[in-house]
Formats: sequence, structure tokens, C-alpha cells
Amino acid sequence: MHLPVSKRGGRTTDLIRKQVESELEKGDIGCNVGCDYYPCHFEGQNCSFCYCPFYPCEDPVMGYFVTSRSGKPVWSCEDCLFCHRNEVVDFTFGKVREMGLKAGDPRFLTEVFPEAKRRFWHRGKALMVLGATSDAGKSITVAALCRIFHRMGYLVAPFKSQNMSLNSRVTAKGSEIAMVQVLQARAGGLRNADAHMNPILLKPKGNTVSQVIVEGKPFGDYNVPDYYGKFVPGPGIEAVRRNMDFLKDRYDYVIMEGAGSPAEINIYDADIANMRAAEVADADCVLVVNVEWGGSFAYAVGTVRLMPEKDRSRIKGIIINNVRGDPDRMRSGAEKLEEILGIPVIGIIPHMSVDLPSEDSEAFRGQMSKGTGSLHIAVVKLPRIANFTDIDPLCMEDTTVEFVDTAEGILSADAIVIPGTKNTIDDLVWLKGNGMFDAIRSMRGKVPILGICGGYQMMGRVLHDPDGIEGTVPGDTAGLGFFDNESYWKEYSKRTVRDRCEMIDGGGEVEGYEIHMGMTDVVEKPLFRMTSFGRKDEVEGSVREDEMLYGTYIHGVLDKPAFRKKFISMIKHEGKTVSTGEPEDYDDVVDRNLDLLADGFEKGLDMAALKRIAGVGE
Amino acid sequence: MRSILFLGTSSGAGKTTVDALYCRHLARKGLRVAPFKASNLSLNSYVTEDGKEIGMGQAFQAWACGIEPTGDMNPVLLKPSGNGRMQVVLRGAPFMDVGRGVPFPRDEVMEKVCESYDRLAHDYDVVVCEGSGSPVELNLMDNDMANIGMMRARGIRSVLVGDIERGGVFAAIYGTWLLLPEDLRPLVKGFVINRFRGDASILEPGIRKVEELTGMKCLGIIPYVHLRFPEEDSLSDSGGRLGDGSIHEEFVKNLDELLDAVEEAGIDFDALDGFLSA
Repeated sequence: MHLPVSKRGGRTTDLIRKQVESELEKGDIGCNVGCDYYPCHFEGQNCSFCYCPFYPCEDPVMGYFVTSRSGKPVWSCEDCLFCHRNEVVDFTFGKVREMGLKAGDPRFLTEVFPEAKRRFWHRGKALMVLGATSDAGKSITVAALCRIFHRMGYLVAPFKSQNMSLNSRVTAKGSEIAMVQVLQARAGGLRNADAHMNPILLKPKGNTVSQVIVEGKPFGDYNVPDYYGKFVPGPGIEAVRRNMDFLKDRYDYVIMEGAGSPAEINIYDADIANMRAAEVADADCVLVVNVEWGGSFAYAVGTVRLMPEKDRSRIKGIIINNVRGDPDRMRSGAEKLEEILGIPVIGIIPHMSVDLPSEDSEAFRGQMSKGTGSLHIAVVKLPRIANFTDIDPLCMEDTTVEFVDTAEGILSADAIVIPGTKNTIDDLVWLKGNGMFDAIRSMRGKVPILGICGGYQMMGRVLHDPDGIEGTVPGDTAGLGFFDNESYWKEYSKRTVRDRCEMIDGGGEVEGYEIHMGMTDVVEKPLFRMTSFGRKDEVEGSVREDEMLYGTYIHGVLDKPAFRKKFISMIKHEGKTVSTGEPEDYDDVVDRNLDLLADGFEKGLDMAALKRIAGVGE
Repeated sequence: MRSILFLGTSSGAGKTTVDALYCRHLARKGLRVAPFKASNLSLNSYVTEDGKEIGMGQAFQAWACGIEPTGDMNPVLLKPSGNGRMQVVLRGAPFMDVGRGVPFPRDEVMEKVCESYDRLAHDYDVVVCEGSGSPVELNLMDNDMANIGMMRARGIRSVLVGDIERGGVFAAIYGTWLLLPEDLRPLVKGFVINRFRGDASILEPGIRKVEELTGMKCLGIIPYVHLRFPEEDSLSDSGGRLGDGSIHEEFVKNLDELLDAVEEAGIDFDALDGFLSA
């Protein structure tokens, strides 16, 4: 019997050998869609080698060593996608038959793996989407391209080196990254976005300081001069390089997103979100301009011409985005633009209304309401509101969702949602100052009230912050008193965890994630029971059914139909509940809309030009 | 006669506001000032005392000048009527419907526009003109009236207004300048950066570079303030009549406050005054 060649051997290798043995017997099983974990890597993955016959290959482009609980180095290939490619599985089974290989045969590593790698592994190519402005449609374009390349059968990952966002999510590994990269990863057929896709996340704390999150973990707080002077040239650019390399080793395409305009010549050399990232990744770029406000040709010309030649030459195409009416009316201008810049216009994309999670810009630009349905839901527009994408699934129902910042807006609502905030205590003080605190209290028992994360903390009796970790003034702050819970901030640390749970009173599953600094002593009846692996004895949230009060730390609590259905069913408009039909899983809605988005882009893009730029088929 | 033209790098860059501020600045200096916008694409209109329909923006700018609006101040008002058709209101009265195979008689209309402009220029010390959208829409430039149309017809000096809120303001200003016909570039004397939040010193290197590249002068940075123009509030629902006039008094009061703030923030009005064509 041949064991895999390993300096370490032992029980683990033995277990893997047994698994591989049974895999070799079964042969190519393709996608195992029936598996609970499918798709653990990517949509359409080949599941034949759940355990890899090449383990431990110890090839640094496939995996890395981690330290085991006993302190020994262990080869980890949990991020490896290579053995899930159809061509690799196909080739390997061919060799198994040809060479008569059994599990553990050293020739897997000495002959088959090197040959497979030579044939099927290549460093991925980076393509970058730049925008002439914020809101040019970069993130949507990246999402569309991810879906387009995914549909072509490529492995594709999104990447944004540095994202300033109030909407973040927790990955399966407990890392915090921007919500939009999670969405783009999903567009690329990936269910598990990870921190490599957004290695630097800036969370504005107000007063020009941002919390800097590197590879999913808090790194420090920086003001603007220190960020550009100290962080960017050192750990910043290194994080970009390290994570870009990681993704290129594993994916065929990395679709990068720039930030703001790449031609901010006052900070050009310190900008690691645009052309410096493109340089590190050796990316070809496309520039997206939004025609909505006019001046798009000037923006395109100015952006390209303000760049130094070495960066300018990376721009291989221009996309004219968000055209209302007949796209052909842009044609003559596009031709002139091509002539002036010597860069082809590779797409004229019509205005599309797709149902995808809100972008930060909506909050920044003050969009105040969504939908025109019968149930009026007031979302408290906290000054430091965070993760307001939590609210999006409510908009799919027969609702008018309104962001309100006055007591009147609260008093006329059929239901109230208090969302998350970057700073619970300061926002609670703000609520008290403008009369909304009393308004919300007066609605107790009259309409359903849901608090999420910071909003949940506010629903408690007292919030203790003795050291001023959360608020600007240390001490205790009285909450809304809807629950007898007390929250406290004891140390500067953050809980980031993904939760899978079920509603205690039945109704189904809920999935989401927690991101919070403070903790809560819960004395109320809990709302959810955990079903996550190893956490079955935990409960989450608080509920007072008779008073229609609900509180939870779980972001995304409304994404799955179960709790949304429950919450909507409690809401009455003019004394009547509204039948909303069977609610849909928000993930399915998003997936469907990503397809619509990709369809729209495929129609508006010169696909041959895109494929040429991307080197498809090379 | 003296005049100046405010061009925007995009719609909503802040032309209308900057224009109104400058009108007010000159009026406060005791000059007789009139606003002018050759053509306006808008459904929000105002009806003047002599029954002429013009764009709401010019009505407010007239009040900023301390005068009553007239049809000459916005000689062309284009009112989209759906299905690709548009009503052309010429000097306050319906003129024709264009679109769907009926071309816009640009040259004929432009002649009337110039007559209106000349009349204002004759009657007032200064005419403060506003452009329309971006002056360099490559697909529309040939038929332009309000931007390069007026620059070419009357040699009016101009100032670019760029909006920094969405980023890319240097690209917008430089790109607009680059796309202007070369013979008109010398007329563009300066630029203003609008809607800035934060510490303006961070912009310095970028401003210097654009000044070097174009020869234009940066006339200042306008802090982020929201002066609500009535078209944004859909006050035109009142049928264009603003009743007792209290709304425009309120507007002028706000404008005065904004002007004080802008003067304090260091907008170089003296340089602007110097650009007024002799």
C-alpha cells in the first residue's frame, strides 16, 4: 500500500487516503448538488475530489501551512480550487486508469500532479474597472463582468483593494469585508467570499477618522494624513500585493474595482485603490462613465489625459453607462471619443433597474424612501447608520420603506425598524435630542418594532460604556427599556461571526452575521436557537411577542423568508394585515437580478472586444 | 456692455447657483445686472408679469439682481412632451413642436436668441449668462446654443463650474477644456470647484496642475451648502405664479447668506469682475 509522500504522515493522512480510495472507486461524479455544503467553492464545481488525491502537494500556489492545535505545521488547501476543475478531474481519472493508480500512490505527486499543473494551472489575469466618478457604476459593472465570465465557465473573483463602506459582511472565516464584494463574489458563482477580495476596508467613524480593517480584521484607526503617509506606503500596498497574488494563483480572472476617480491628481501617488493597484496586478483596465449627469465625454477625456503615460496605456476600453432612451444617440459621440483618445468604446449600457442591495451612495445622497406598497415601515435614519442593506428584503414586499429622522415619521408608521449603527451610544443620544426617542417609546405595543444590532442594543434598559469605547462620553446611557437587557462595552474588540439558526417558535431558518463591539446580557425570551456547527446550545435575540418587540444582533435577519414573513405578518396598515404571498429567499432574488444585469451588459457590450481585452481563449 | 458665462462640467454642477451668487454680488455693488440663459430644457417654468414663459432658474436669478424677469432672459425653453417630441417656447411664447422628423431650426432660433441677448446687453451694465448641461457633449455640440453657441456668437468670456461631490473634478475640468474647440479655449478664464467638504488644502497640488495645463485660474472653492432652487421643490405646481412673492424674498435672503459665506471662503470675485468682457 502506498501512502501519500509526507514528512508528517499520521492519522489525518490515513483518513484522507481512505476517502480518496472511495472517491477513485466512484469516478467522476461532477457537481454533487445534493451535498449540504454544495457549492462550498464555486457554482458548477466538480465534487469528485472532496478529498484531494494530491494531498499534501505543498505547492505554494495551491495552499499554505497553518499551525495545528498541537502547534505543528499542517498543510491547508481549503482555498484550493484546482482539484475542483472539471479538466483536472477528467485528466486525473484518465491517469488513474492508464497508470492503475490506487489512493496513496506516490506517482500522484511525482507524476500526475506536476503534469496536471503544467497543463491546467496558469496565473489568472486581472481586469480592472475604473470609474470616472463615484457612482459611475463600477461595482455593478464588476458584478456583471463576474457573472459574464462565470457563465463562460471561468473561475472568477472580484477584488477591491480598498473600500470605504458602511455596509460590511462577515465571511465564513469570520473576516469582515465590504458587502459589495460579497455580492460580486456571488455574481462570480462563489458562495464564500473572503477577505482576499477586499483586503482593506475603511469604516468611517466620523470626525475624519476611519477604522482600517486589513484582511478582515481590525488593524487600527487612522486619520487622513496618517493613512496616506504611514499606512498606504507600508502595510497598505503590501496587503494589495499579497492578496492579489493569492487570487491570481487560484482564479482565471480577477475583476478589480477602482474607487472614486483614478485621476485625483492631488493624491495620485498615494492612491492604492486605482492605478497603483492596477500596476501591482498588471491589470488591463476599462473606464466606466455615467452619462446621467452629462459631461461624460469630458470626464472620460480628462481622466485618461491626466494620467501619466504608463498608467494611461493600461486603459483598453471605455464603457458608457446608464443611458436612458435610445443608446444609439450616444453613438456619434462615442465615435468621436474613440478618435480623440485612441481607446475603443466597448459598450453603451442602457439604464437598468435591477433589484440588488443598496449601495452606500444611496444613503450618502439621501434617498429617503423605497417602494409604494401599503405597509409603511419607518427605518430610523441614524446619523451613523450601518449595514442598512439589512432593510433591502423588506422592500420586496408590499411596503413603503422610509428612512425617517423626525418624530412625525415614527408616529405615522405601521412598523419601526431601528437599524445598526457605527456608534450606538452617540446615535442614541441623538435620538433623545430630536424627539424620536420618545416617539419610538410611545409606539410600544402599537406597532411591531425590530431592532438590529445597534438598534437591538438601544432597545435594552441600560447601555454601559464606562471607558467611552463606543460613545464620546464614558458612562451609562438609558435605553428604550423595551427589553430588560443590558449592553456593555468592556474592551476594544469586535465580535464577527456568522450565524445559522432557527426561530424558536417555529417558522424556519435564519442566516446572517454579527459585527459588534458591545455585548448584551440577555434576560428576555430569546428569538432564535443556533443551528451552526458546534453552537447548538446557544440562543440569540430577544422577543416580547405580546408587545410585538423583536431584537437581534443578526445582520441579514430578513434575507431568508422565515423571519421576514413573521415580521410582515404582524404589521397592520389602517387596522388590516396585508397578504404578501410566499416570501422569497433574498439570495434567490439577488441571483436572478445578477443574471438580468449580466444579460443587459452582454447586450450593450461589444463582447468580442471584451474577450480580446480579457484574452479569452488565449 | 459687459458679460460673463458660467459653464458647468455636468448638469447639476452648480451653474445656476454660482450664476445667482454672482448676479447678487454685482447687484450689491450697485450695478444693473440681468441674467441670461440662451436655452433651457425644463418642465419647470415661470410666467413673467407680461405673460412670458421662461425657466424658473432665470426668474430667481432676476430676483437676485433685484429686477423682474422678462422673456429675453431665457429666450428658448424646451419642454419635452414625451414620445421624443418637444415644445419650443421662444421668448416666452409657444413657437413650434420639434422631434419625430421635425428638425430644430437651430440657426433661425439662434438669431432670435442673440437679439434677446443684445437687448439685455444694451439695457444693463452686466449680463450674467448661464450655460446648459456640459458644453462638450460630443454628440450634441454642433447644435449647441447656450454654451459654445453664445461664446462663438458674442465672444463671451466664461468660467467653468466643477462639482467635486462625486469625485473626478480635475478630470472633469481638464476634460471639458480639452474638448472645447481650440479657438474658444482662450475665452475660458477660470474655474470654480463646487460642493467641497473638508480641508481644502488637500486639493492644492491638483489645482496647480490644472492651472498649469490649461492657463485657467482657480477662482475658489465653494463649500458644500444646499441652496434650494425652486425647481427642485416642484413649486412650479403653482402654475408658475408664486403668489405673494414671499418665496422669492426668502430665496434672496438665503442667497445673501450664502454669498457672505462664499465671500468668506475666499471666492475671488475681484478676479471674476476682471474677466467681464470690456
